[in-house]
Amino acid sequence: MGIAFRLSTELVAGIFLGGGIGLLLDRWLGTEPLFLLIFFFLGMAAGILNVFKTAKQLAAQAEADAKEQSGK
Amino acid sequence: MAVEEAASGAAHHGGGLAIDPMHQFRVETIFPIHIGGFDVSFTNASLWMVIVAVAISLLTIAGMGKRSMVPSRMQSVAELSYEFVATMLRDNVGDAGKRFFPFVFTLFMFVLFCNMGGMMPYSFTVTSHIIVTFALAFFIFLGVTIIGFIVHGFRFFQFFVPKGVPIVLLPLLVVIEVISYLTRPISLSVRLFANMMAGHTMLKVFAGFVIAMGWLGGFLPLAFMVAFTGLEILVAFLQAYVFAILTCIYLNDALHMH
Repeated sequence: MGIAFRLSTELVAGIFLGGGIGLLLDRWLGTEPLFLLIFFFLGMAAGILNVFKTAKQLAAQAEADAKEQSGK
Repeated sequence: MAVEEAASGAAHHGGGLAIDPMHQFRVETIFPIHIGGFDVSFTNASLWMVIVAVAISLLTIAGMGKRSMVPSRMQSVAELSYEFVATMLRDNVGDAGKRFFPFVFTLFMFVLFCNMGGMMPYSFTVTSHIIVTFALAFFIFLGVTIIGFIVHGFRFFQFFVPKGVPIVLLPLLVVIEVISYLTRPISLSVRLFANMMAGHTMLKVFAGFVIAMGWLGGFLPLAFMVAFTGLEILVAFLQAYVFAILTCIYLNDALHMH
């Protein structure tokens, strides 16, 4: 449960941050949906990248734990 | 019609009787203080932070006061928590992380005691407020970024440039990497806050069921609550651990930049 929650927050945080940056840029430059759309998808990509990194790191950790177990 | 009436009647009736599961998160002022137009009142959140700080100081100072070879129970707990954080830091950051031990230890103990303090009846869970966890996460993020720039100078920007990428894709990937870096404080704070708030709300909702279902049906939600309280204690510890270990990982990224 902890791992699932960790991965999902990574994904959601990416989307929210991307959307937020896009919205602020749009408000600042007056180009309504343009940057929101661009950064929404960039945020999604960043979220997926985060999930990927986290999963890789968790897998490495699990492998290290398994090695430690078998070593003993 | 009758159903509607009954429903509205129940809702009306419930207004006075039912337990509001969000009431526990209300910040209440204890001493009102206003400085220069800002409301800096001493609230129940401040009170619990002070209690947590005092409890940690008591544990570490009084626990280690005697420094006996055969430790007392309190000394054992203090030594265990020291060992726990020291091992975590050594495994994740290496020897360079030793300098940051006081910081990570303080952070871990603060979050852990806030989470655990929230498990006591009538207490206030400081970490169930997004502003508290976000402030913690944001300053960690800021500090770690500054450390990265101090250690590596402008070479720290290489952190955002993935290796072995065709030059056409590079600008896009750098933007994605930067956004992914900026999400760190958000995911760090939301994870802790959401876990704490969801768990506490769930407990209160089920506590409401116990009362609503009365003497006959109330035992089922009560049994669930007992089990769930155990789970919540696990979550309280686990989230403090995750918070601290992610701080270690971010520190490691800033120091070693792989």
